[in-house]
Amino acid sequence: MGVLTQLVQNLRQRISRPLQYYYDVCVRCGACIDACHFYSYSRDPAHIPAYRVMLAKRLTQGGNGSNELVRWYRDLGMLDGRAVEELEKAMWECTGCRRCAVFCPFDLDTALMISAGRYTLLQEGIGPEMIAEIGNAEVSKGEIIDMIKDFYLEQVKSLEARLQEEFASDLQIPVEKEGARVLYVPLVGEHAIVPAAKIFHAAGEDWTLSLFTATNHSYFVGDMAKAKQAARWIVEEAKRLGVKVIAYPECGHATRTLFSFFEGWFGDEIAGIERVNILQLVADYLQEGRIRVQPGTFDVPLTYHDPCNLGRNGGIFEEPRLLIRSVATDFRELTPNRELNWCCGGGGGLVAAPEMKEVRMKAGRKKVEQIQRTGAKWVVTACENCKAQLRDLNEHYKLDVEIKGVIDLVADALVL
Amino acid sequence: MEVVAFLFYYITPYIAVAVFFGGIGYRLYRWWKRPPVTSHLSLYPRPRGRAGRLLDALVDVFTLKGLLRVNKPLWIGGFVMHLGLLLILIGHIRAFTDFYFLWDLLQWGEEQQHQFSAVAGTIAGILFTVPLFYLLARRWSGPVKWLSTPEDYFLLFLLITIALTGFHMRLLTRVAVDELHTFFRGLATFQWQPAPTSTGTAFIYHFAFVQILMVYFPFSKLMHTIGGMFSKMVARS
Ligand code: HEM
Ligand code: SF4
Ligand code: SF4
Repeated sequence: MGVLTQLVQNLRQRISRPLQYYYDVCVRCGACIDACHFYSYSRDPAHIPAYRVMLAKRLTQGGNGSNELVRWYRDLGMLDGRAVEELEKAMWECTGCRRCAVFCPFDLDTALMISAGRYTLLQEGIGPEMIAEIGNAEVSKGEIIDMIKDFYLEQVKSLEARLQEEFASDLQIPVEKEGARVLYVPLVGEHAIVPAAKIFHAAGEDWTLSLFTATNHSYFVGDMAKAKQAARWIVEEAKRLGVKVIAYPECGHATRTLFSFFEGWFGDEIAGIERVNILQLVADYLQEGRIRVQPGTFDVPLTYHDPCNLGRNGGIFEEPRLLIRSVATDFRELTPNRELNWCCGGGGGLVAAPEMKEVRMKAGRKKVEQIQRTGAKWVVTACENCKAQLRDLNEHYKLDVEIKGVIDLVADALVL
Repeated sequence: MEVVAFLFYYITPYIAVAVFFGGIGYRLYRWWKRPPVTSHLSLYPRPRGRAGRLLDALVDVFTLKGLLRVNKPLWIGGFVMHLGLLLILIGHIRAFTDFYFLWDLLQWGEEQQHQFSAVAGTIAGILFTVPLFYLLARRWSGPVKWLSTPEDYFLLFLLITIALTGFHMRLLTRVAVDELHTFFRGLATFQWQPAPTSTGTAFIYHFAFVQILMVYFPFSKLMHTIGGMFSKMVARS
């Protein structure tokens, strides 16, 4: 019982104003049922968005001491081991895609409850700890950055040398460049640096590469204090170098933190620093004529998957379409698309948790059907999570497609 | 029985009004007390500017256009029910005062007023009641049953009961609005007047159930009337 009491107490403290609206406003109409890709395969009530919140509400408002009649009337149920098990499923088998919020007539946001619930559960050791550990590593990176910096700079230098040979002899990958206009924050690995470096070079952009990575796994587990700390390193770097723009790579959740959380976290500290996703930057280059691409470079049938965190949670709908259409001839939309697009099933940090693989594959079924209906050979998207999930789906369901990034396409079609 | 009727005529209405407004105030206070979040919880695409977002939320509240896009049967059920409810609420202004201006403008006598009310009231009643049965049926079958709590059934039954007792008066008796005016003005000024007789016994049941609804309103999901607008603004912050 000890764990349960602690859990209830912690969860109660995390009920913010929007969550209280959720508790009080939800009419249990079920419009959100059709939104969730988990429920679509499982028909399990614990996957119904509103039901997930009802489970949490049971914990925070019920309690075994409360009147039995009241408990029956409001369906508060009993607090026992089963309740915790159900809650665990409800909180972790969710990608935080917020498709349900679009379906809800009151725009109630289940993902907000998930965030609070995950944090409380993990404090009791319930859930995939892997995600939290990656988050911790992102936080401590800032503390040890001086120790790993030289090694990192060396790697960047060798990458630069390679690109000078393969792409353009005067290409540069500046790091720690004071007074640069754009601070570009990559992901782990060179795949997020290479196409960006080519495009920045072509556009003649005054940019500098961040020492950090944009991903923020603490955000996935609802640990906002750590999420803020991981983001702080980037803000400090941006201020130290005096950049005008922070640009995030093709990564959904990181971009969401940048767009939706930075202002609340850092307030005046980031006033005057523009925050953009690389898609917006590159779309601007193209429209301003700063870069040129070879139209019709790709004639395979291809489609675009709107990452939840860039689309309905970030407002980036048209930039990727503009970019894709500028280089491809046979672009096909998924149905539904944009803010109604089905989640790929890999968000919410789930791709980082090996034990979630099986669930992920089932949750991706809707996506698979959508892709098959278009007959596309390439699936283009702009989120690291989505790409990993789509690759897994491709293999699992033998889709026989290739997964591409939007800026990879642009970089490969550049005319220098 | 006499005593109970007396209570519902002259005593509990005050309690009902007090609890209704007091309760709503309490719920607003509870919302306000909760810590707000500092992040933007916007859903996109969203309109530009504060005014644009407010307007968009209002349009959605009155048309439920977001629901229309994703769930047409529920939209029809929900929209028609709420439309009927709105018309009924407007119609009930006649219980307390009258549309004198309108009648003067149309130069309608008492008979025409009555006939108009009868037709309009019956239509509004049907718009309200029929969807309630649909919403009830939805809860019994299909996945919505997982979400349904006794509270949900109770509310639907309560609304249906109120509607049926209302129909009883509308269809089986001929209500004299003057009587209602006298009675309600008496209540409002604490100078009690005799209860209406033209309405038959249905009135006291109708009146009592409405009071139950008013007392229950602030403590039920009916708070979506107010909170729905708030949560919509959160999604447009
Ligand atoms: C601004 C005012 C209101 C708005 C925007 C609104 C909106 C909605 C929406 C979107 C639903 C869910 C979907 C549906 O069943 O259509 C709903 C359900 C409901 N509303 Fe309202 N509503 C409002 C006022 C009211 C009022 C004043 C009442 C009653 C006194 C009411 C009673 C109900 C009931 C009982 C349900 C649940 C239906 C069920 O159980 O399935 N609503 N409302
Ligand atoms: S759509 Fe919204 S109001 Fe309806 S059950 Fe789901 S969360 Fe509740
Ligand atoms: S956020 Fe997405 S995964 Fe989570 S409950 Fe809503 S629809 Fe389902």
